[in-house]
Amino acid sequence: MSEIILMAHVLFGVACIIAAVWVFVDVLNASERNQKRIQWISRAAAIFMWIAFIIGGYWYVVFYPADKAIILKGPWPFAHEYFMETKEHLVIMLLLLVTYLPIAASNNLVANKDARRLVLWVSALVPLLGLMIEGHGAVIAMGVKVALLAKHI
Amino acid sequence: MDSQNNTLSKQTTSFGLSLVVCSLVNALLVIAKEISPAVQSAMQKLTGHHWVTHSAIVVILFIVLGFFFANVAISVNRLIKTIVTCVLISGLIIVGFYLIAG
Repeated sequence: MSEIILMAHVLFGVACIIAAVWVFVDVLNASERNQKRIQWISRAAAIFMWIAFIIGGYWYVVFYPADKAIILKGPWPFAHEYFMETKEHLVIMLLLLVTYLPIAASNNLVANKDARRLVLWVSALVPLLGLMIEGHGAVIAMGVKVALLAKHI
Repeated sequence: MDSQNNTLSKQTTSFGLSLVVCSLVNALLVIAKEISPAVQSAMQKLTGHHWVTHSAIVVILFIVLGFFFANVAISVNRLIKTIVTCVLISGLIIVGFYLIAG
């Protein structure tokens, strides 16, 4: 069950990143035809992020203490001490950014050049921060793996 | 003829400013709870987990400030610069703090 929750967390995180990239590309080509789609995809990005955040938060509070103990006894304690500590706080900032995306995208992006620039910046920051956070997650998972491997060798 | 309409909705400006403040509060709260065991303990007691309290404080503040800043006027250029700068600074504070103190 713990693994399914964790994979769902990653899945929705990736879906959020893809949606934000979609918004970025669509805004570069903003027109009457794709304006509604931009607004819907930016809402989807926010929903995906909130789902990833809630699932990840539940996993972190309920299941992570066991993984943390394993990591800290293994050869990669920094997987918790730096990567998890950083990830759990950067993700709050990402949550706010993605929540803001549909608010910024609710402006008339066809007629409003400044609103387009704002949405481009916000939607560019989301995948940058999101990919960094995904990478942190990979190091944390590797921290558990190397700790368990070290125990068995 | 210029058909451009370059004003943002009130919510775009107010929640943009709220994003700026909350990003910084998020980073500063990290330092406060890591440096002060009393802060960490108080946050732990409030919801049962310091991270849940931390998240709740930042999210609630984001919503409250989003309405609080409703009448603040700022140019779009300045809003974009402030958002990007503050998000990057907040990220660097968090990364830098755990690199140094971690």
